[in-house]
Amino acid sequence: MSIEVKLAFDVLAFISVMVLIVLGLGIIASMMGIFNFAHGEFVLLGAYTVYLFESFGLSAWAGIVAAPVVLALIGLVLERLVIRRFYAAPIIAMLGTYAIGLVIREIVRGLLGGHYKSISEPIAGVITVFGVDFSAWRTVIVLTTVTIVAGTWLFLARTSVGLQVRGSLENPNLARACGISTTTLYAWTFAFGAALAGLAGALIVPLYQLSADIGTRFLVQAFLSVMLGGVGTFEGPVLGAAAVGGMAAGLPWLVIPVLADPLVFVIALIIVKLRPQGFITQGRL
Amino acid sequence: MLSEAGPALTAQRAGRTRPARRVLPWVEGTALVVALVVPFALGERTDLVTLATNVAILSLLAISFDLCWGLSGIMSFGQALFFGVAGYVIALVGRDLAFSQLWAMLPLAMLVGLALAGLFAAFLLLGRKAPTTIFVALGTLTGSYAAERLVSGWQYVGAGNGLSSVKLLQLGTYEFVEGTAFYFLALIVLVLVYLGARFLKQSQLGLVLAGMRQNEERLAFFGYRVQLFKALVFSLAGMVAGLGGALYSYHQGFIGPGNMGPGLSTTAVIYCLFGGSGTLIGPVLGTVAVEVLTYVLADIDAIKRIWPVILGLVLLAVVMFQPKGFLGLLVSDRERIGSYGRRRPGGS
Repeated sequence: MSIEVKLAFDVLAFISVMVLIVLGLGIIASMMGIFNFAHGEFVLLGAYTVYLFESFGLSAWAGIVAAPVVLALIGLVLERLVIRRFYAAPIIAMLGTYAIGLVIREIVRGLLGGHYKSISEPIAGVITVFGVDFSAWRTVIVLTTVTIVAGTWLFLARTSVGLQVRGSLENPNLARACGISTTTLYAWTFAFGAALAGLAGALIVPLYQLSADIGTRFLVQAFLSVMLGGVGTFEGPVLGAAAVGGMAAGLPWLVIPVLADPLVFVIALIIVKLRPQGFITQGRL
Repeated sequence: MLSEAGPALTAQRAGRTRPARRVLPWVEGTALVVALVVPFALGERTDLVTLATNVAILSLLAISFDLCWGLSGIMSFGQALFFGVAGYVIALVGRDLAFSQLWAMLPLAMLVGLALAGLFAAFLLLGRKAPTTIFVALGTLTGSYAAERLVSGWQYVGAGNGLSSVKLLQLGTYEFVEGTAFYFLALIVLVLVYLGARFLKQSQLGLVLAGMRQNEERLAFFGYRVQLFKALVFSLAGMVAGLGGALYSYHQGFIGPGNMGPGLSTTAVIYCLFGGSGTLIGPVLGTVAVEVLTYVLADIDAIKRIWPVILGLVLLAVVMFQPKGFLGLLVSDRERIGSYGRRRPGGS
């Protein structure tokens, strides 16, 4: 019994990590049609912020709070300088964001000196419920993810800014005609997506060691999640992330690990091929 | 369409009266002359001959990517997949069957690349609905990434260590070791592939591809089965990449998971964009520039560490300000895109 519960919890924790990473990517992809190849590096920068805070003797909590803010600022600057040139051309945007990602990754690699740094969990230990031990930090991640997803959904569905976002997504020209500044909106959306990536990086860095490639290992899975769920919806990428995350965490228990890893990609790609519009088509964002 | 390519091309040759100066043939000619002279000029520096051979082999990968992106507008982040898989097949045949004859192995590598790319094209490009460019780009990226992960965990093919001490390429009893002979072999292959790609670009098929890049929908309305053309060129590009992978495997004596991953795939993208996509010679020059600079700068410690950052910044600058690549500074748009078929008097 307890083995199954633990397994389910592990899968759930990994799904949460995927959802956290994919949420920002999905919002940027839906809003601007840009598949941000630098997203993995935004996650890396979030993780690196926590590491910097720790190495200066500050609390890791402060780092976790600061990471989204730092990334939002970086996102704003990048959007203003680079990204907005790419809105009309998704392929060029891929190349441009790839270049940005490359620059960030290699700078951080240089700063880290190619080493792996481990960050201790701000809340260590386990929580025991009905005689089953749950890792405390993974529980925090799961709860944070639920909060973030719910908060983002409420923001988009219930606030007037959210309405503007949905309007601009539906029909950018009409939104502009109604006096909504889509350029400002796009800038903030990009910053928001970057902030989510930063938060994700800050939260997951205790689980994985900090290295320059911490973000890229999730990037392909995150792209597939967005495609799988459906670009242009809010629920889609979240569901896609749940599916991909569940497969990635669950398949190694069913087939030999060597095959499980690539199999996730193959299955996801086949589903996308068969259903290119994604899981969700009704009720676009 | 293909069958018409021949006569139309001869017509073009016969009726060509061109007032404008053409730059590309000069660039191509200079490059060829330099490539022929290089091993003699380098003489004793065997490390530089090895570098030159490597550049020639990687140029095949760059051309392969240019066939996809520059000619047919398929953004492939997975060209290294075909490169790497062919390299592995070659290494495995050498290891398990102790066979490495040139006349059989290079065609085998081409076949592997062609078949694998054909499968990918059939999956990604063909189907009832035309795929989005994003899907193709991410599909190739995923394929490349998944293959790298699969291979790096598979003991039979050496797992993370890859396959080393690949059996030397043979022609009869002659063995190609690193050096001038291998350089010329790679150069001959490169020139043949280049001529083939050049013929493809200037043929009627190339004209269709140019039209597709401009306005895919309109070409579809004309009755062209656009996706079929893309799949064809993608498969051919895979063939070229496979050839490159085999030569790479023989030359380095090593092939590893990294040789089929997104890392090398995106390096091919960088080569191509630096040089200027769609020109064929541009990607080759891009490869030369990037690889030679990397080699030279590796000796300078201060720059070596920030070299990837510089590479990224230059790529960003190219994407933002000079999407035609550095060759775009020399070559006019009209020449870059090419000329096809018969030139009409007074028309362009």
